[in-house]
Amino acid sequence: MPCNQHSHLLSAYIDGELPDSEHEALTQHIIGCSDCAALAEELRETSSMVSGLGREPLPVGLSHRLRRTLAQTQDRSGTIGTQERVAPGKLSPSAGAYRPWIRAGLLKHAAVFFIACLLSSLATWSVLTGSTKDNLLAQDLLSAHLRSLLQDSPIQVASSDAHTVKPWFAGKVDFSPEVRDLVAQGYPLLGGRLDTIAGRRVGALVYKRRLHIINVFAWTSGDGSEVSPALSTRNGYNILKWTRGGVTYAAVSDVESSELQRLPDLL
Amino acid sequence: MQPPSRFEQLALPHQEAAFNLAYWLLRSRADAEDAVQEAFLRAFRAFDSFRGEEFRPWLFAIVRNVSYRMLNSRQRAANVISLDAALPGHDHEGGSYLNIAADEPSAEDVMMGEVDRDLVRLALAELPAAFREVVVLREIEGLGYREIAEITGTVVGTVMSRLSRGRMLLRQTLARKIGKDRSHAV
Repeated sequence: MPCNQHSHLLSAYIDGELPDSEHEALTQHIIGCSDCAALAEELRETSSMVSGLGREPLPVGLSHRLRRTLAQTQDRSGTIGTQERVAPGKLSPSAGAYRPWIRAGLLKHAAVFFIACLLSSLATWSVLTGSTKDNLLAQDLLSAHLRSLLQDSPIQVASSDAHTVKPWFAGKVDFSPEVRDLVAQGYPLLGGRLDTIAGRRVGALVYKRRLHIINVFAWTSGDGSEVSPALSTRNGYNILKWTRGGVTYAAVSDVESSELQRLPDLL
Repeated sequence: MQPPSRFEQLALPHQEAAFNLAYWLLRSRADAEDAVQEAFLRAFRAFDSFRGEEFRPWLFAIVRNVSYRMLNSRQRAANVISLDAALPGHDHEGGSYLNIAADEPSAEDVMMGEVDRDLVRLALAELPAAFREVVVLREIEGLGYREIAEITGTVVGTVMSRLSRGRMLLRQTLARKIGKDRSHAV
């Protein structure tokens, strides 16, 4: 295989897992090196062939069996109602053994109560001391994203064609979001829908990255200033927010932050 | 039936991914099913020791450990079993991992071409385990290198090189297999 210096980096390169400086240097190299360009393309192809397999389907009934096993285990390790395990005659000798358990249980409850108090006072404190607007917005964005995943389909207009999705928003929202199908970049457009964020109607573009759904919410920004992308994390979900051309975008997904951060450049 | 516990809320959404991982490590649906059940039970019992790091890598690491332990004992058992049970290409389930291709065509089959899809499954199944696991976690689950390192108990650099070698191997195998297949068809 020719061009040995770089071939071992190409796999991480196509995943966007190289440090920025190395990524940039390799991009420059690939432009001039047809061997590396071809190999990168082949690796991409191999990668998408495997990801195209999808998950192995779950055996029928496994989900049910898992729930049942866990429920049974909980019953047994749970409260004092452990009749199945303790034979009636042996109850009194083993009864003492529960006492430390009860004490531990009480301590645990006390700890939980204490933490709850602490959290609620923290929440009050944070409500009183500003920075809550962004927080509430992030919470709302995440809720909208999760809501869309719970429904049968996260989209109202299903189309991978930007020319179908963009006009669909006309008359439904007071702006025109940028809609692009990014299937070549690995972010196929599934479609769009309307949603509500912080009490206002917003457009939502739904993209897919492998098995992950990405909701890109869009609404008119208050003023005309551009804001460069800012990333935040909430409950393990990444939220990327930016403003361009008078429209504020917020992308929400559980996909890797680096993959989410490619979106503003692509859109 | 009591309301789902916190553990169930966290763990059950990962059951498909857990089964998929166990399946590709064990290359048997029946074994993968056992492994997932045992892993979830172990995870549930160890949940007290889970200290709010990320849940998914924690759970997947358990699935992986249980699967490998199972694989080890299965291999030991296979060594003791009489020689005529060990037909080449067959595991002791009576199933053959050479028939690892799914029985029923799915929507993706039609898109990718059934033959190619079977070849991809076969090529992946033949990949050495150390490469197979990172390829599955990356390509099918879409996880980042840091999380894969956490699950496999290695460092990001190792994930990077294993994934690179795994993909190179797959690429070669697929080129060979698909080439051969096409020439057959012609």
